[in-house]
Formats: sequence, C-alpha cells, structure tokens
Amino acid sequence: MTTQNTDSPALALRGVSKSFRTPDGQQVGVHPTDLDVAPGEIHGIIGFSGAGKSTLLRLANLLERPDAGQVVVHGQDLMTLSPADLRTARQRIGMIFQHFNLLHNRTVADNVAFPLRIAGADEARINERVKTCLEFVGLSEKAGVYPAQLSGGQKQRVAIARALAPEPHVLLADEPTSALDPRTTQSLLEVLADVNRRLGVTILLVSHEMGVIRRLCHRVSVMEGGSIVERLTIANGRIPPDSQLAQWLREYGDAEGDAEEAAAEPAPQHLLSEAAHG
Amino acid sequence: MADETLAPVPTILDTFIELLPEIGKAAGETGLMMLICLTAAVIVGGALGILVFLTSPGQVLGRYRRFNLVANGFINVFRSFPFIILLVAVSPFTRHIVGTSIGPLAASVPLSLAAIFYFARIIEQTLRDVPRGVIEAAEAMGASPLQIVTQVLLVEARSGLILAVTITAVSFLSYSAVAGVVGGGGIGDLAIRYGYYRFQTDVMLITIVLLVVLVQGIQFFGQWLARRVDKR
Repeated sequence: MTTQNTDSPALALRGVSKSFRTPDGQQVGVHPTDLDVAPGEIHGIIGFSGAGKSTLLRLANLLERPDAGQVVVHGQDLMTLSPADLRTARQRIGMIFQHFNLLHNRTVADNVAFPLRIAGADEARINERVKTCLEFVGLSEKAGVYPAQLSGGQKQRVAIARALAPEPHVLLADEPTSALDPRTTQSLLEVLADVNRRLGVTILLVSHEMGVIRRLCHRVSVMEGGSIVERLTIANGRIPPDSQLAQWLREYGDAEGDAEEAAAEPAPQHLLSEAAHG
Repeated sequence: MADETLAPVPTILDTFIELLPEIGKAAGETGLMMLICLTAAVIVGGALGILVFLTSPGQVLGRYRRFNLVANGFINVFRSFPFIILLVAVSPFTRHIVGTSIGPLAASVPLSLAAIFYFARIIEQTLRDVPRGVIEAAEAMGASPLQIVTQVLLVEARSGLILAVTITAVSFLSYSAVAGVVGGGGIGDLAIRYGYYRFQTDVMLITIVLLVVLVQGIQFFGQWLARRVDKR
C-alpha cells in the first residue's frame, strides 16, 4: 500500500487480467492491462461489443476479481483488502449502470439513502445527503415516488444521486446512456459533467457511443480484443485524425453524428416532455 | 295402519349444530398444525432457501459450491417422499421429540419437515426474480451478504415471498388432512372419521365447505397483500 499524494492517480489498474469462458465456450476477458486515471479526470473506454470494456470497468471495484494485477484506488490496493475492508473501500467508489439497477420497492429517497444506510450513517446525515443529492440531479420533487413512475432519464439521475450520496471520489459509469434516447442522453451528460466539475469526482466511463465520449471525456482508451490498443487525449471534442479511432469512425460511420443532426430537428413530443422533466 | 310418523330427517344444519363442538375442536387442531408447520417453514425453510439461492453459481456466495450441492440434494430427497410415507418414516423421530406419535402436535413434526423443504425450494425460485444487476449494484455500494439479504432480496422479492407463504399454507392445509390418518386430528381428520368411515355425507360436505372457505380466504388475503406491497 502506498500513501496518497497529489500526483498519484485516483484510480490505477496495474497489469490486471481476467479471462472467462462464455456459455458457448468462447474465451473472452481482458489481457494484462495498465490504466491510470488522474484525479479530476473523465476517462472514457470505448470499443466494439465484446472488446472487454465493461469487464475492465468492473475490475476497478472488484465486481470482477482480476486473475492477476493490482487495482489501486486512492493509493489503496483493493486486491489486498479483507472482504470487510473491501466493502468499506467500495462505499467511496460510486457506480452507475446501463439499466439503472434501482430498488423498485423503495422510494427515490430511500434508494438514494441506501448506500448510507448500508454504511451505518445516522439519520440526520442521511436526510441531509438525500436532500443535497436529489437537488443536485434536479429531482427533489420526486423524493417520495417509486422508480416505476419515473422515465429512463429520471431513473438514471436517481442512480447518479444514489452513487453520489456517500461522497465518492471516483464514479464508475457502465454504459450510462445506452438505454436512453439522444435528448435524454444530452441532459444526462450535463449532469455527469457537473458531477466532475462541481464536485471534483473522477469518472471512468464505458460507452460504445462516440458522441458520449467526445462530449464528456478528457481522455479515452480504445479497446479491442481485451486490450487497450490506443490512448488519446480529446481536446475540444476532437479526435486526433491520425488515430486508429478516427479511422474506425471514417470506416464505420459516426452513428452519434447522425443522432446529433436528428436532435436539431423538431423532436417528437414525448422526447420534449422527457427533456422538460430533466 | 302402522304409525307412519318418523323422526324428522336431520337437516345438514342440524348436523352442523350438533357437531359444532367437534368442528370447533377440529378447527383448533388444524390451526395449531398450520401455525407450527408454517412457522417452521418460514424460519428454517426460508433461511435454507435464501442460503441455497446465495450459493448458487454466479450469486454473491457462489464460491460455496459444495454447500449448494449438498443443500440442493437434501431438499430434493425430502421433497421426493410421498407425504404419507414421510409421516410414517419419521414417526420414531416424532415420538422422540414429542413423546407420542398421535395427535396434532405429533402430526406437526412431519408436516414441519415437509413444509421446510417445500418452502425452501419455492423461496429459492422466488428470489431468482430479483434482477442480478440490482444485487450487483448493492455489492458495488459495499453491502455485506447479510445486508443484501435483508435490504435487497427480501425487499425486492417481498410480493413473491408473500405468495410463496400463501401457496405453502394452502398446500399444507390439505397435507394436514392426511395427518389425520395417523390420528393427527383437525378438519381433515373429521372428514375422514365421520364422512368416510361412518358414511355421513353431510359431515363430509360441511368439512369440505369449511376447507373451501379457508382456502379461498388464505388465497384472497395472500394475493391482496402481495399486490399491495408490490411497487414494481
């Protein structure tokens, strides 16, 4: 275990690998990989389906335990922790998912309170954090409703509020906008950018949508076949034109570019109302 | 002419009133057997079902593969016994803990055994309805296995769990009638003694109506409660 200093990354994967077999016998996973995410950075992971993006992300909080390597968060190697210490460490690593994964039988407020209750926080602090976090994502008036009554974009906002409740330093986002339409995606990306800018939370985000990466990330790692094949810095939403990623975009088209054009046209009514909710 | 006046044929209502004390006693015995076997099922069977679910492959305690195999095997073995065979087979055990093998208390032993494994299997299957992603989200937030059980599984699956208790109650109401065969007492026993052995069809009818009302009541209440707590 090393002590944390300002230069050390917020999150570092060192030589992590993971291999498993799919039910149809294919060998998949992540080859030994290094990844450093600096404090305050939004780091994207992009790649085709099956490239190992989500697996790599899930290694960062040991939802998948790597076969080898080190997972260092805030200078603490998660691999060396006891189960109880790992749980404590996880309380400070937020995570959001493609399908939100909210508790359906609990109200919005109780969902946001959930990680704090688990950590044994007192009621006064829970109430204060729930209020603050729901305000942050703009859903204060929904505190008492159940998730079934919310739109997809609102559910993801609740999930973000829940992840923020224990004041994490790192947020892991697994395809957070892939179940959402382009308009809702746009407003959700603004929330995530706010999380990073205003709260200083480091974000590691997996997406297969180029537009998401381009609008949000400072740096991006491109994955293919279980390895990171390219690491790029994104300045002002531009992909360096001589990169492999730029070549893929020329080859396979920038699906997100089409979506952006579509969003400029008058949006159907239900999308507008969705955006209004947000 | 001989006197044609006969004693009036007793109506079913007369029989009912005459038998009321018997029926009351039988209902009490049935209630006692149900209370004991459902309590055992919910506590022991519920815990067993939760453990089997947690240790199944890909779940939170999936690494305890051996426990899962053994517990699964146990459940299957006990569930293979026709109830009446189980009743007889465990009678030495029953006599050992209750001191007798007849009466509602004695019948509660095999009933509880059968109910525990029956309920364990239903609970295990009900918990499969909780999406893996929700459990995973709780793990990512640092929830312990016990917290996952009490704050995720039991909350998210609660309407299914209520229906599981309902289905178990209905099944074991009818199993408790079988226990009457070995002198277990209860409503089923009444039906067999009067209705079957003494050919008193009206008694048989009364007990059947009573059982139908009970089953409808349990089912209705269970479904109502399950709907009420379901916010999904």
